[in-house]
Amino acid sequence: MSDTALASAPLAQPAKVPAIRRKRFNAYRAIQAASMLIIALVIVSPLFLLAVASLKDDRFQILADMGTFRAFWVSNPTLANFAEVAHFSGELAFGRYLLNSLIILFATVVGGLVVNSMAGFVLAWGSLRGRAVILALVIALYVIPQESIIMPLVIMVSRAGITDGFAVQIVPWIASPLYTFLFYQFFAQLPKDLFEAAEMDGASVFRVYRSIFLPLSLPALATVSILMGIEAWNQYLWPILVTQTDYARPISVAIATFFGQDSIFWDRAMAASVLMMLPILAFYLAFQRWFVSSFVGSAIKG
Amino acid sequence: MGKRLLLASSVAAILAFSASAEAKTVIKMMHQGDPGWVAAYGDLAKRFEAENPDVDIELIYAPHDAYNEKFSAAVMAKQLPDIMELDAPFLANYVWSGYLAPIKDVIDADVLSDMTESNIAQGTYAIDKQLYAIGLTDSSVVLYGNRKYLEKIGARIPKSVDDAWTREEFEANLEKLSKVEGVKWPIDTFRGYGIKTEWITYAYSPILQSAGCDLIDRKSWKSEGMLDSQPCVDAMTMMQNWVNKGWVVPQSSGTNQFYAEGHPAALALGGHWFYAEAAAAMKDDVVVMPLPKFGAKGASPDGTWIWGITTASKHPDIAGKFVSFMLKDKAYRDYAKSQSAYPGLKSFAAESPLYAPGGALAVAFEQASKTAVPRPPHPAYPAITAAYMQAVDKIFNKGDVKQALSDAAQKIDEDIADNDGYPPFNGEQ
Repeated sequence: MSDTALASAPLAQPAKVPAIRRKRFNAYRAIQAASMLIIALVIVSPLFLLAVASLKDDRFQILADMGTFRAFWVSNPTLANFAEVAHFSGELAFGRYLLNSLIILFATVVGGLVVNSMAGFVLAWGSLRGRAVILALVIALYVIPQESIIMPLVIMVSRAGITDGFAVQIVPWIASPLYTFLFYQFFAQLPKDLFEAAEMDGASVFRVYRSIFLPLSLPALATVSILMGIEAWNQYLWPILVTQTDYARPISVAIATFFGQDSIFWDRAMAASVLMMLPILAFYLAFQRWFVSSFVGSAIKG
Repeated sequence: MGKRLLLASSVAAILAFSASAEAKTVIKMMHQGDPGWVAAYGDLAKRFEAENPDVDIELIYAPHDAYNEKFSAAVMAKQLPDIMELDAPFLANYVWSGYLAPIKDVIDADVLSDMTESNIAQGTYAIDKQLYAIGLTDSSVVLYGNRKYLEKIGARIPKSVDDAWTREEFEANLEKLSKVEGVKWPIDTFRGYGIKTEWITYAYSPILQSAGCDLIDRKSWKSEGMLDSQPCVDAMTMMQNWVNKGWVVPQSSGTNQFYAEGHPAALALGGHWFYAEAAAAMKDDVVVMPLPKFGAKGASPDGTWIWGITTASKHPDIAGKFVSFMLKDKAYRDYAKSQSAYPGLKSFAAESPLYAPGGALAVAFEQASKTAVPRPPHPAYPAITAAYMQAVDKIFNKGDVKQALSDAAQKIDEDIADNDGYPPFNGEQ
């Protein structure tokens, strides 16, 4: 259609489109947005500071910059700290510590998913007598802080002869009242018909768990994976107490080495912290969709 | 037949290997330290193992901040190592608790005769006068000054312990320094080390002792009436005033404001180890001075991390052999020197020009013989240091000085009472 044609065409009746309403300034929304921005800054700024500091080559400069806006800026970025951390040899083979942490994380999460989901399922649908009492005990155990039982646990594991290895850093943390309860809550909310139909078809309790309920519990599995993973990754006091040598020592303890009696190697500690953060960040990003949906679901269902 | 022979020879080889592995004596050594020290211990163990192929040195590392927790866990799990590094003021508690064994018979005689008086004092248990620990190093705290700032205010620079600044001189200099352009804080007392480390008790209690009081009465072993006495209240009020006037580097500003860009702190009440870092950044602008006298006499701290052999060791002789080897090892000494380590052995002092007369830290070494006061050698020391550190924290955060010190003294005395006076420290045998 030419321009002339356009010009000579009768003016069409304007279609009824909803009038564009000028958005009025909404003070509530503005405050909400500003609050969210501030919260986001508070959460992100330490991570940003960490990343920036890891690119500074002078540990004294890092300290001097702290408390000023220079802490968020690096004029001559360098990867020297990462190179130093990665190539630390002998007693402080950083890659080995990273691998140790990954092994501990993986084994704890896999073991935790199996044990806690089974326990949660039995508590929700099993024919066990006294389920209510056991459930109450599980909830009661949840409120006991880890630190308060840590010394008795040290004695137990040393008597069991499983100190200084991977097992001692994995086994005690597989069964968890919190995650058992999370799975229980999730399974208990699934329709009873599912369980009864499977039972009528002759499926055993384990079969119902494995073939029907477990595939439906992806959000719960993701949530527990992330929470357990973060917990396992950040363990600090426990590995210090139970590990004797470098063999199975995790990265969190390795980073503490940079905080010496007389000197603190902030540059290397920052680079090591960034390296420590990356795997768990990737882990979270991989599962976050289910993680968020599980939490939203939990909130709706109460 | 061939398969059987192969199987038999394999079993024999495995048994022989197991036997050789079992034949090795394992000596476990628990230690702390930054990456440099950790590597130094690793290398040291390798050198010892090369000379003693029948011994396997197993190093057990614990981060500095979590060392006591690790030690407690080892005690509870009955997994004490053969050799342990310990902070000297905790020695009395460990010996009283039965964790440490006397070492005189298992350490080489030439090493024992090489110890400085301060080294002997920090490793000796007051009750039986036996030596329970030994170290290559010792420690002290000095007053570092920025030469340019001191020249600006025309301050006298003391050359020896005998002409240390008096309290009046020191406070007048702080006042003057607070007005000098470029000085953000007149002094860094290293609050940045926090209250989780031993720093506060180690570095600040000599101020009390110089002022004429102490953390605890060292005869009656009672803190009430001593820690909350008027001289202590005055001394801590003085320190609180420094903080209130904004003269002291705050805890949040870290531990390097003396030599950070722009040199915002004019003085630093710092450990001997601080010299290496400060001198690297400031060169000749660093002045090392003795700690000021806050009363009639001067006082300075001593004691550091030293080596003891535990009662759990099945091979104290081999453990002692390793400790002797470590203290004489040249490479280990060289590394210690590179960290400006304060000598605890006479031969090591002779190798350390930094501490010899005319050396940059000569005044620090002079303090060891003239003003050093060990921290209270009493089994209640863990309670003493914890209570005092909490009191200082309260005082620096505008708490009531008298109340904070009284509370601390009460806590200390309660701990001693709860342990029946830690006999025989209460006079009972």
